[in-house]
Amino acid sequence: MILVLSPLFSGIVNKQKNFFTGRIGAPVLQPYYELFKLFKKETLHAKTASFISRITPLVHFTAILSAAAVLPVGFSAPLISFEGDIILFAYLLSLSRFFQILAAMDIGSSFEGMGASREASFAVFVEPIFFFTLGSIAFITGLTSISSIYDSIVLNNISYLVFIFVCSISFFILAVTECSRMPVDDPNTHLELTMIHEVMILDNSGFDLFLYHYSSSIKLFIFVILETSFFGSLGGGNRVLEIGIFILIVFFLSTALAFVETVTARFKMKNIPQYLLFATAIGVLNLLIFTFTQ
Amino acid sequence: MNNFIVFFFSSLFLQIFSSIFLIVFRNNKKASQVFHFILLIGLVSGLTSVLSSILSETPILFPTDFPIPLEYFRFDSLAFYFLFLIQLAGIPITIFSYSYFNHEIKEKKSVKSTLFFYAGLLVFTQLVVVVNQAVVFLVFWELMSLFAYLGMIFEKEKKEVEIGSFYYFVMSHVVVFALAFFFFLLHRHTGSWFLSDFHMNSDSDTLVPFLYLLSIIGFGMKAGFIPFHFWLPKAHPIAPTVFSAFLSAVIIKTGIYGLLRTFQFARPVSEWMGWIVLFIGIISAVFGIWYAIVQKDIKKILAYSSVENIGIIGIGIGLGLIGSACQSFPIQVIGFGGALLHTLNHSLFKSLLFMGSGILYHNFHTRDINQMGGAIHRKTYFAVFFLIGSLAITGIPFLNGFISEFLIYNGFFQAAKELKNHYPLMMLLSAVALAFAGGLAVACFTKIYSIVFLGSQRTEIKKFYFSFFDAFSLGILALLMLVIGVYPIPLIQFVSQVLGDGFVKGNPLPILSNLNWLSISLIFFALLAVFVILFLLKKIIYKKYGQRTAPAWGCGYEKQTPRMQYTASSFSDELSEIPDSVLGYQKIEKSSNFPYSDKSFSTHSSDFVEEKLLRPLFKKIQAFSLRFQFFKTSDLRTYLLAILLMVIFYSLAGFLWDS
Repeated sequence: MILVLSPLFSGIVNKQKNFFTGRIGAPVLQPYYELFKLFKKETLHAKTASFISRITPLVHFTAILSAAAVLPVGFSAPLISFEGDIILFAYLLSLSRFFQILAAMDIGSSFEGMGASREASFAVFVEPIFFFTLGSIAFITGLTSISSIYDSIVLNNISYLVFIFVCSISFFILAVTECSRMPVDDPNTHLELTMIHEVMILDNSGFDLFLYHYSSSIKLFIFVILETSFFGSLGGGNRVLEIGIFILIVFFLSTALAFVETVTARFKMKNIPQYLLFATAIGVLNLLIFTFTQ
Repeated sequence: MNNFIVFFFSSLFLQIFSSIFLIVFRNNKKASQVFHFILLIGLVSGLTSVLSSILSETPILFPTDFPIPLEYFRFDSLAFYFLFLIQLAGIPITIFSYSYFNHEIKEKKSVKSTLFFYAGLLVFTQLVVVVNQAVVFLVFWELMSLFAYLGMIFEKEKKEVEIGSFYYFVMSHVVVFALAFFFFLLHRHTGSWFLSDFHMNSDSDTLVPFLYLLSIIGFGMKAGFIPFHFWLPKAHPIAPTVFSAFLSAVIIKTGIYGLLRTFQFARPVSEWMGWIVLFIGIISAVFGIWYAIVQKDIKKILAYSSVENIGIIGIGIGLGLIGSACQSFPIQVIGFGGALLHTLNHSLFKSLLFMGSGILYHNFHTRDINQMGGAIHRKTYFAVFFLIGSLAITGIPFLNGFISEFLIYNGFFQAAKELKNHYPLMMLLSAVALAFAGGLAVACFTKIYSIVFLGSQRTEIKKFYFSFFDAFSLGILALLMLVIGVYPIPLIQFVSQVLGDGFVKGNPLPILSNLNWLSISLIFFALLAVFVILFLLKKIIYKKYGQRTAPAWGCGYEKQTPRMQYTASSFSDELSEIPDSVLGYQKIEKSSNFPYSDKSFSTHSSDFVEEKLLRPLFKKIQAFSLRFQFFKTSDLRTYLLAILLMVIFYSLAGFLWDS
């Protein structure tokens, strides 16, 4: 399901963004067309590239996909779930990152080097945020499987509500950073100096680029799922209601993302660590709330 | 079955005996061949005896008529674990040593004495972990340090070698001093010199913290925890790679061995000791790797990364101590188990990476990674092995590093679950610190790998040397890492056997095997399947829609040169600037007006502990000692008088003390 739906979300976000800026914009299904187009294109490899940049798209895609498999999707159980999968989830993301950085440096071009350097630096701050959000519940309840963490959340408890609120902010910041969204990264400019993720895949084309784009839309969707799963219990077992809630929240999130992208300009690269530290600080707050209310 | 004893000691004898051939053969090359061959046989037979003894699980009987006094030795599970570790890392390092010293022989250097020191180092390291008598332990410990020192000064004509080895030398003496004190205290308390008799009785509350303090100073300095890490980045780079690999993979682990033994001696521990070890571990993990990122010298990076990994091991030990203080069985098991596992894992990947750095040094003739580049296009196998090593050390899933880090994270969860109150908060902060160190490690090892292996070559080299023996030794290690990463259960069983023998009361196996090792293996195979399917799909698509190589996209700029690539310093610039005062990170820029081209730009970093703590301290000591310069006369009689006065003083003191 994640495989099918994830490009749709990017499509919705783009459409809404266009709506906010007063344009008509591409159809919602545009990401699918683009992926299909890339799929059919000839693949180019740089002369300086080695086997690293050939296998990376595959490794990247596989890692992201399996990370997604650990998550519950609001109304259905995850594909894989075991105690401790929260650690596996975090480390699978770092596997994908490791290879992506290598692939970027593989070309030996300074553009990609720039992206790789930025990715490596910002990623350092991303993992702690993850532990501060979902991890904090794991530490309080002792549950170490993501789906059971979500199951343990009760919505009628005030501290959980505050927690969800704080987590949502953190997840939002994470999503923005990890998925090359506006205040951190701007994938739409035509200046390599201002980009992070897009500049790393500058020399990829065809099937490789297809995999990269596909996995980055899955990655964005992962964060959406992380958010929606908080409200999984609202449906109360009713499948239709659960799906309805899911769609509602997804729509709400895409609107938020599009809105933020429209009203903010990209940060200076130097300021991004501060932006991420802000998310970390919120995470600490989150934790204090938990420690004192329980 | 007392075969083990005979087998083991004869394997040790074979290892030391191998150095005879260094004298027998005049020809350097032939001597090295025979030496390494015999040494390897010794190691392999040692490993076989250890393994068969572990697997058979029969108690070891000591033969009565044995030429060596056997009561000085003890073969418990912890000793076996470390023997296993030393031999497992020692075998590939020895294979590598052959091809490494071949290079030196080609350059007409005399290697015989250094080879002898290597054999001595191997033997005494193995003896250190099995010895049962405190004084003999200290003697072997000192011999081990000495052989390492002697091997380190292989290129003694260089200034940096002189400095680096001096750091090591001073460090090992401070360590021995602390350890001597440590053992004397234990002896005074228990009245025995045997390690197996060192148990605390009820009135030892005041002694235990003191013992831990000494142990952290002594063994911790050998292991390289911050703030005692200063010798690592000095001593590793200057030693021949064989020795730096052995130092990092094995010698610093003897410090961990000592810390674990301390836990066996000194119980009950109070909780704050656990917190101290945990805190030191976290500091070492985070700052060790942060220092590593700033460096340009590949061996320095690896040395600092050893500090990080020792920190992770320390986190495990700290958790175990906390668990012991809170009388929680699972926390102890997971904490100490994680520490033990990571000790073995680190010795595997770190020896691989160090050996890789030796191969790079022989090819590029420099340790500065900014001069390297594009090695992946020269030797693919080498690049693959080094990649596996880098992935493993960052704790990426399905390699052995992940297994031990997974265990330690689980320890955090366990501690948070069992001990409520403020524990979840502390454990979460520790987990975040470990995750942070993990992120930094990703940055650090992508940096090494991409600067050294990827892109295009920065300096021209004609032929890339990568011998069969290099490939073989790296290959064994890479394979081991993969096997442990995918199927860790046998190792987990071994670890729980060690824990059951002298660490915890009860059977630790259920707790360790309750974690989902099998699902990790299953996920690995599922992922592998997805990967293979995608790979085949990719082949089909390439056939259908075409694929070709073209020059890299230069944004309209045609004349790309290798010098324009991202360098080590530029890659890590953003991360180095954040804590620049701690890292001593500076950018030095010299510029001149346009037509003159004597521009230069360099970055520089220094070690906080060395610059801010050690140097001022030694300056103070120096200034203090200079005050006594007035003694320095040319008159011999003054010195004699001083000696006489001292003798009288000591005799009086002894006399008064006795009465």
